[in-house]
Amino acid sequence: MDDNELISRILNGNMNAFTFLVNRYRKLVVHITGRLIQRQEEVEDVSQEVFLKVYQSLGNYRNESKLSTWIATIAYNTGINHLRKLKKEDGRINFDDTSVLKSLADFRTENYERIDLHQYIREQIELLPVNFRTVITLYHLEEFSYQEIEQITGMPEGTVKSYLFRAKAILKEKLKFIVDDNSLKTVKEISNE
Amino acid sequence: MNKNALDQIIEDTFTHEPGFRLPDDFAQKVTARLKRRSQWKSDLSDYLNINAVVILILTFVGGTYYFINRTIVIQAITFISNNILAVGSLLLILNFILFADRVILPLLFNRWKINE
Repeated sequence: MDDNELISRILNGNMNAFTFLVNRYRKLVVHITGRLIQRQEEVEDVSQEVFLKVYQSLGNYRNESKLSTWIATIAYNTGINHLRKLKKEDGRINFDDTSVLKSLADFRTENYERIDLHQYIREQIELLPVNFRTVITLYHLEEFSYQEIEQITGMPEGTVKSYLFRAKAILKEKLKFIVDDNSLKTVKEISNE
Repeated sequence: MNKNALDQIIEDTFTHEPGFRLPDDFAQKVTARLKRRSQWKSDLSDYLNINAVVILILTFVGGTYYFINRTIVIQAITFISNNILAVGSLLLILNFILFADRVILPLLFNRWKINE
């Protein structure tokens, strides 16, 4: 069933079609809200809120963009609003704060030979500022184009590219010791596992 | 490991799913929440409609009586203004009972049914 048919069925009151839509786009939504909020206990609630908004606004959807882009926009806006609410409550979240990046020393003191490199990088991605994490998710994981990301987040294309570049640069900097170190062979073996 | 290999590993990791998960019955939960919300909206609108109809009937009866027998209306208004606290409390209690019956109880019942 294509998206247009799905939408027309939902607009005709078919709740099974809506359940189908939720199942089709749940991964997209949880990737965006999860990367934004980073609190598993709140991700489900926010994702539910996203789909409720999708249902309520479905009548306003015009075929100007793909349905996935439209849903991603709603997910992004809902996630950002939730983050702002959290920020007001505890004042801990900074939208562009690189100071939260975990010290490399924490990792170096551990025996990284035993750690899955992908897992380590994933943890480091979660420590990046929220805008960096968002563009990484949208571009690499969900494979949206720069134009679509601009549409979803409202960030200009140049900013999106810059965030992607900077995110990678930060990660490379944090993983520099792997390239420099003599024990690279071991890490390479780990990464090939 | 050379820099290109590291680049490749980073790029690969970007395409890995973050660890956030939704429960298997997520879609059912959303649908249930949607039904609950629309039910709540319809219950609330029913309650407001009943209130509006009662006010309209009272206004109509009061207005009609004003032309038929003005004294009764004036007596009624005097009675109300002399006992504003008692009348106000009674109206408030009646309204609350109606609100509980039409809005709160169905909402609680729906939640209980879903949790069961």
